[in-house]
Amino acid sequence: MRLTALDEVAAGLGLRHGQGLAEARAMYPAIDVAEEDPAADRALLEAIADWCDRYTPLVALDGSDGLFLDITGCTHLFGGEQALLDDILLRLLQMGFKVQGAISGSPGLSWAMCRFGQGGVIEDGGGEEMLASLPVACLRIGGETIAALNKLGLKQVGDLLAMPRAGLARRFGGHLLLRLDQALGHEEEPISPRRPVALLSIERKLAEAIQAEEEILELAARMALSLRASLEARGVGGRVFELVLFRVDGRVFRISAGASRPLRDPQKIAELFTERLKSVHDELDAGFGFELFRLNVLQHDPCEASQDNLLGKAEGGAPLADLIDRVSARLGEDVLQAFQLRESHIPERAIFAHPALRHEAETEGKPNPAAMTERERPLRLLARPEPVEAFAAIVPDGPPSRFRWRRVLHDVARAEGPERISPEWWLDQETAQERDYFRLEVASGHRFWVYRQGHYADDYRPTWHMHGIFA
Amino acid sequence: MAKHATAQERLFALRETIAKLEGKTPTLVAEEQPQGERMAATGKDSRRIALGVDELDAALEGGLPLDGMTEIRTCAMRNSGAGSGFVLALAALIQRQAKASALLWISDRFSNVEAGRPYPIGLAQYGLQVRHFLHALPRKLEDALWLAEAAAASDALAATILEIRGNPSAFGLSESRRLSLRAKAARRPILLLRHASEEEASSAVFRFHAEPGPAAERVLPNGTMLGGSIGSPVFRLTLEKSRNPAPLSFLLEWNSRDRQFCLARQTEPSRLSGDATAHSGTRLPASADGPDCAAALGRLMAFDRAS
Repeated sequence: MRLTALDEVAAGLGLRHGQGLAEARAMYPAIDVAEEDPAADRALLEAIADWCDRYTPLVALDGSDGLFLDITGCTHLFGGEQALLDDILLRLLQMGFKVQGAISGSPGLSWAMCRFGQGGVIEDGGGEEMLASLPVACLRIGGETIAALNKLGLKQVGDLLAMPRAGLARRFGGHLLLRLDQALGHEEEPISPRRPVALLSIERKLAEAIQAEEEILELAARMALSLRASLEARGVGGRVFELVLFRVDGRVFRISAGASRPLRDPQKIAELFTERLKSVHDELDAGFGFELFRLNVLQHDPCEASQDNLLGKAEGGAPLADLIDRVSARLGEDVLQAFQLRESHIPERAIFAHPALRHEAETEGKPNPAAMTERERPLRLLARPEPVEAFAAIVPDGPPSRFRWRRVLHDVARAEGPERISPEWWLDQETAQERDYFRLEVASGHRFWVYRQGHYADDYRPTWHMHGIFA
Repeated sequence: MAKHATAQERLFALRETIAKLEGKTPTLVAEEQPQGERMAATGKDSRRIALGVDELDAALEGGLPLDGMTEIRTCAMRNSGAGSGFVLALAALIQRQAKASALLWISDRFSNVEAGRPYPIGLAQYGLQVRHFLHALPRKLEDALWLAEAAAASDALAATILEIRGNPSAFGLSESRRLSLRAKAARRPILLLRHASEEEASSAVFRFHAEPGPAAERVLPNGTMLGGSIGSPVFRLTLEKSRNPAPLSFLLEWNSRDRQFCLARQTEPSRLSGDATAHSGTRLPASADGPDCAAALGRLMAFDRAS
């Protein structure tokens, strides 16, 4: 085992990265050793990134120990770049993290200044002289390239800047020059944010943290009220909302809720979160309270404006949509399903179940496709056809005289059929077999839908399956 | 005089409460009340839905309650088809009268696997409007009960069907009473379908026991029956819980085209039927090996391979 990270005291003792654990213990028997846990480190970094969402929605992870924040257009909210940086560093320090930060015009320069320089705010145009005195490792290039550059005596970025570019490109490839240009800001470098940017977003910062569920909901309703104007201006209503709660100690909770139709009404939006909060009740640990709230609209759809009547109430409520929203928010959107017909003769393919929340309104008015057959279909269809042991079937095309299903022997009293359904060769293999469906009534009065797959032949005995149950 | 009037008022209110507890309609009370004002006879039609069979409607005191819970049980999972069929037929009747057409079917996971999930094309042929048919599959019984309550309380559904298997301890008399009260308050029917369950104390207004009966035969255009055909489904029902002292058994046929019940006729043997099915054939199992082989000679030393 080897040392992968050291704290200040250990570094002061003269221990090094990559040193063997046994050797380090031999030197200093009293050291505390914790085994490395990359997953936990990653989770911590993600948590910090979540926390950084309060400054900007564009937060990207950088390796295992860094974060990029795109603060374009956000700084004035925090009193300027220096104030923003001080605020971040101070708060993280209070949480117990030792953090180095830098603000500059390009991600590459900030990276270099954080890890090899003093950090801080670098004015535009000052990048080149700052970089010149830093080692070449600050350019985010591979170890081999660094070694090769050092061998040639090119130890600092300033040395590189003095060299002709053509020679560097020939010798070390384009990557080195790309990194150099990115650090100097000549080349654009996008960062890849962890989360999609919300279409609309509204934020409330509280002087005093709140804990109670009712207060959270009331605040959500008030935020939704402020959001309404923006939604109306765009002529849309929100389909997926997300409530982000920043806890005092830095933990961030995200609660999202979907709606079955575009929503604008603040009360309805708040109701969605009422149910969601009840379902996530245990996971949402309020601790010492939440200090910062954000309501995001992650997805929105065009929605027709409905005019309030003189009493101030919108006319024509949609109780079914409300019920679907409530249930989906509380129990999860997969629980409640709606059905859609599809053009298929295969019984299980003719019906397509999907979350009621996503049920598109416009499909309702369509005429019934071929799936709506005149042939009788069972009330209940088994999820997958179950094997049936059939005896004394009339060859070649008749129903069985008796069959065994789920270990019970049934005597067939009456039968109707066959109804032949051919396989869909464009989906199934061309060798797929036809199904002959029979309605069977057995002696006890139960009615079943049974099919034979394939045909009797000299060397082939087709299989029988139970597919549905009639009333 | 004023005091007398107040006393009358109180007496009337008390009588009405008692009548409600007994499940009678307030109109009857008004008739019994000689001096009381006659209430508008609105109650009876809006709170009950007639099944269209006179004997049965008489036993149900006018029909199925629209503001209460009705329980349909089957004694074994294999009768789930009959139970579902009867519940859906009731739902179709309710749907025809209600202003909302949406239906919610709440299944439990086991019944969904064992009896299959509702198949909308089949439901449409059975006489239901399936444009707003919703199927819910909650993970826990508690979720299912919450969902049933929420659904009954919302104004959006014609009926809520709650499917439960057996007699789970989490659904006892108090839960049943809670659901029933919720249905009463919201004036929406809840149909409780219990598969493979025992008789149990419950708060449902009526309880039926459903079993399948032999289906009616298809009617030919000239009025005769087509022998050996499988027509409208027939249920062998027993009204187990009602105001009648004795359980009532009957065979009920559901005509999905006309969307109405009728008492099933005792099927007379038609010319074509008899024992023969539409595809008549021998009931004997197919012989696999030809005639019985001759007994082996000598002593049995070892068995042949069975497979």
